[in-house]
Amino acid sequence: MTARTYVKTMLLCALVSLAFGGLLLHLRIHPVSQNPSNLVAPVAGILSIVVVPFLFSRKNLVEYGYVLNGMLVIVGTITMTHFSLARWSVPATFETVVLKTLLADISLLWGNFFVGKALFDLEFFGYDPSREKKGKTWRYPNLGWWIAHLVAISAVYYAGHVLWR
Amino acid sequence: MKRFKIFALPWWILHVVMTVFFFWLGHAVRF
Repeated sequence: MTARTYVKTMLLCALVSLAFGGLLLHLRIHPVSQNPSNLVAPVAGILSIVVVPFLFSRKNLVEYGYVLNGMLVIVGTITMTHFSLARWSVPATFETVVLKTLLADISLLWGNFFVGKALFDLEFFGYDPSREKKGKTWRYPNLGWWIAHLVAISAVYYAGHVLWR
Repeated sequence: MKRFKIFALPWWILHVVMTVFFFWLGHAVRF
């Protein structure tokens, strides 16, 4: 087994492990039977556990895996932020914002994103330690592109929430 | 690095479809 295959396997295990943990947490905290909106998490979880690792494991489908994984992280971030805002503690203190919102869960979710990013970068940029990072921050596949998409998707989601009742 | 052409679908179709989807998601998710 080459170092490349080994590291890729370890990262795929990390990805599945994180996604599986997230799915179980969701099923435990708020079952689908309580609220149809709770369906978003298990669907995203199953996609993360089954589809994303499959896409990452195929060389010609890595980009699809990278985009799907990132989009699922964005959906999770937006819906969990929405959930936190819907159950916002009043008065909000530093402690309630840090400990009583889903900040911890969102942080774990971004772990999933960065594992996907590492998988993608290893596939396309390889293991050359002296290779410099190139390209504009705001262009695909760099982090700025994801930030732009997080902002834009949040705006569309918010518009759907407010305008379509 | 090759120029990324992420999906076979044209860029604008993908964006229209995803915009509609996320607009609907915002409508559908009620906590």
